Amino acid sequence: MSSSTATESRLAATALWVSTAARLVLGGVFLVAGGLKVIDPQSSVAAVRAYRLLPVSVATLVGWGLPFAEIALGLLLLAGIATRVVADAAAVLLIVFIAAVLSAAVRGLSIDCGCFGGGGDVAPGQTAYGTEIVRDVGLLLLAAWLMWQPRSRFSLDRLTTRHLTEASR
Amino acid sequence: MSSAKKVDGAKNGGGANRVGGDKKVSSPKNMNARERARLAAEQAAARKRERRILIMVIAAFVVIVVAGGIAFQAWRTSRAPSSVSSVSASASPVTVTNGRPIPLGSAEAPVTITLYEDFHCPHCAEFEEQFGSTITQAQDAGSARVELYPMAFIDEGSLTAANAMACAAEAGFGQAYYLGLFANHTLQWSDPQLIDLATKVGGSPTEAFRTCVTRRAHADWVTSVNAAADTNGVDQTPTMLINGKEVDIATLTPEALKTMIKDAAQK
Repeated sequence: MSSSTATESRLAATALWVSTAARLVLGGVFLVAGGLKVIDPQSSVAAVRAYRLLPVSVATLVGWGLPFAEIALGLLLLAGIATRVVADAAAVLLIVFIAAVLSAAVRGLSIDCGCFGGGGDVAPGQTAYGTEIVRDVGLLLLAAWLMWQPRSRFSLDRLTTRHLTEASR
Repeated sequence: MSSAKKVDGAKNGGGANRVGGDKKVSSPKNMNARERARLAAEQAAARKRERRILIMVIAAFVVIVVAGGIAFQAWRTSRAPSSVSSVSASASPVTVTNGRPIPLGSAEAPVTITLYEDFHCPHCAEFEEQFGSTITQAQDAGSARVELYPMAFIDEGSLTAANAMACAAEAGFGQAYYLGLFANHTLQWSDPQLIDLATKVGGSPTEAFRTCVTRRAHADWVTSVNAAADTNGVDQTPTMLINGKEVDIATLTPEALKTMIKDAAQK
């Protein structure tokens, strides 16, 4: 990168750190969200069923499996393995979450999103759809950033691509 | 996205030059255009292949984790209940009356603790973990009795457990069964699990109890206490009242609860 100016390389260095933070925050949130749900399969299933979008048998599988998917993605993000691919998957998942919460709000359901455990029906007026959607959109932005700038510090990706990145520094 | 490609292009270009330099003794400068193009195409293909393998490995990893997770949860919710030890409150059989809660503990106890709980509500399980022993102690000491409204709004397991709770109270081991239900709250509460639990908590699953569980003998009663809870203005579980006064569970500590029960007994 002999052609890049000093400003450009400074920007690249900043992007590297922004990506590192985005990766760790997104991975941490996914890991915690999955971990909190995995300990209580009943309420995880109940949380999925509360959306009234899936038949019972499918909701059961989602309630059992989704927390593990979140944990898997969280671990991959924290380790920094295949960051771009994992960020793609995380973005898809977050879009599904946002759509589900939106649909609950539109249909006038009174439910807790069950994003971090718990979930299920709540009293009318106890819903927090706005907060839940804003939080998910924020996480989606982090995922989008990582899709654009997947390179970051302290990642296993870096070990495997060192010979390339080293040459560019 | 277009700028991302540009960045990648620049990066890969740098890498390609270097790899090219490593492979051949000659420097990239000495390569002719066709050689360079061929090398670049080869490397692009290799990168594409690597990327495809990477995606497959990641997908396989996630699928295995999720499938394993589903199998694990299926096992966790369908296994046999664990036994609950040191259940001391021995209750006599109670009569189940429509619209009325299940009484647990001495009828002469000065303090009445009213509980609205769903056996599959996660916050109820947390509540039980935090305050269950304090309440049990008060029951054992004869200072408090519990009036239990088992709610059934989470899933089928809530209903089958609430029904079985009534069956157990009728059979005379309600208190132990109550603790057993919460100690095993991750179970889905199939009929065999509910019958098994009776043994595990030291009760005896008589033929009457089995039939009561499998036939959902108290399903109407469950509906009636849920309606009663509605009438009483209860819209969330767990809800606890001490001598008819609602307690704010969110800020409660076991110590504070102990004091509350003691104070209520002296009034």
